[in-house]
Amino acid sequence: MSAVADPVVLRHRDLEKIANAALKVGRILMECGARVNVVREGMRLVAQGLGANVVGERVGYASLTLTVGSGDETITRMIDVGAHGVNYRLDVAVRRYATKVAREGGAPQEVHETIDRLVRETRRHPLWLVAPATGLACAAFGRLLGVDWPAFLPILLAGGVGQWLRAGLHARRTNPCLVAVAVAFVAGGIGGFGARAAGSASAELALIASTLLLVPGVPATNAQTDIMEGFPTVGSARAVSVAMIMVFATIGIWGAEAMLGMLP
Amino acid sequence: MLIDVAHQAAFGGLAAWGFGVLFNFDGRSLVWCTALGALALGVRTLALAGGWSLEAASFAAALAAGAVVALSSRQRGEGADMIALAGCIPMVPGAFFGKAILGLFLVTAPAPAHAEQTAIFTVVAMTRVILTLGAIGAGLAIPQQMSRHRGF
Repeated sequence: MSAVADPVVLRHRDLEKIANAALKVGRILMECGARVNVVREGMRLVAQGLGANVVGERVGYASLTLTVGSGDETITRMIDVGAHGVNYRLDVAVRRYATKVAREGGAPQEVHETIDRLVRETRRHPLWLVAPATGLACAAFGRLLGVDWPAFLPILLAGGVGQWLRAGLHARRTNPCLVAVAVAFVAGGIGGFGARAAGSASAELALIASTLLLVPGVPATNAQTDIMEGFPTVGSARAVSVAMIMVFATIGIWGAEAMLGMLP
Repeated sequence: MLIDVAHQAAFGGLAAWGFGVLFNFDGRSLVWCTALGALALGVRTLALAGGWSLEAASFAAALAAGAVVALSSRQRGEGADMIALAGCIPMVPGAFFGKAILGLFLVTAPAPAHAEQTAIFTVVAMTRVILTLGAIGAGLAIPQQMSRHRGF
């Protein structure tokens, strides 16, 4: 009997397609900043909607593994996870699609095509909006920390330039830690210098506020939630990555303070 | 004090809006995100004015934001957990974290000036970062875990 006619092999091929489709959904959710429970639920909904049972899943920081089965047959597949970020609209679109697959079923190829389409077509705010909005967030953060009004506009400008630089470096696939150093140095330098030139009495605080776009708030809180929900491995990995980004951002802040003669 | 609460709520909302744009929230979710940022900072300021510690005040603020989202999660649908989280981003103590690491740089310099004071400041700042982040995470997680809609 040829391998192609073997019903076990055929069933394995079907299960492989289902596992790969479910893993693709999990990967996108992970890259959009979802918690581990959401990633697991997304993969489970898709696998079950496509007709397989989920035997087990493992969510890691850099890869996902899924075992699906049908009757006595099981198959395990793995997928790499790319750079972690936060993309709310894509995250919601994928969650809605996973719910739809669970409810209405579908074919693995259809899932692949739909996810590719969602990644391609889900709208993102343009950089000309994101950069000033991020600058505004930094300036507002500065006010919450107690910087005076003369420092407000310099921080807004510095945060905007920092976000513009970050987007450019990410597009060139620069290492995130190096991005943190560069953005903190440039944004902190502009914010500190601008605040001092504007006559601010809180130029040092303005320098730090200009770099707050780098604080990985979503991964920091997700780390804790993941640990609370029973996934300490991913939670710890997220916490370590947050700490690393902050250490590198601080090197950039230190460099900017040294350049402006603000080191204590 | 009302002026202080209004100031903190306004800039908390503004910061949450800015981060919402960065996180690619759509228009309707941005409104929620801004409102939750204002609510969280308003609650935190009131609690601080009442003599609470920063950590306890941050917990109360995150709990309030998380509870609002949990109570409206049926209307919010998928991704409601992300909206609550974005509303609390202005409370993440990033500046404390930066100062703590700068303090570590200073303490380990070849001839540190005021080493003991710097070391104490660094330990206090780092402890505040850990406790405040923990408080925000717990405040967000409790309503979510008690809700029937677990956030998917």
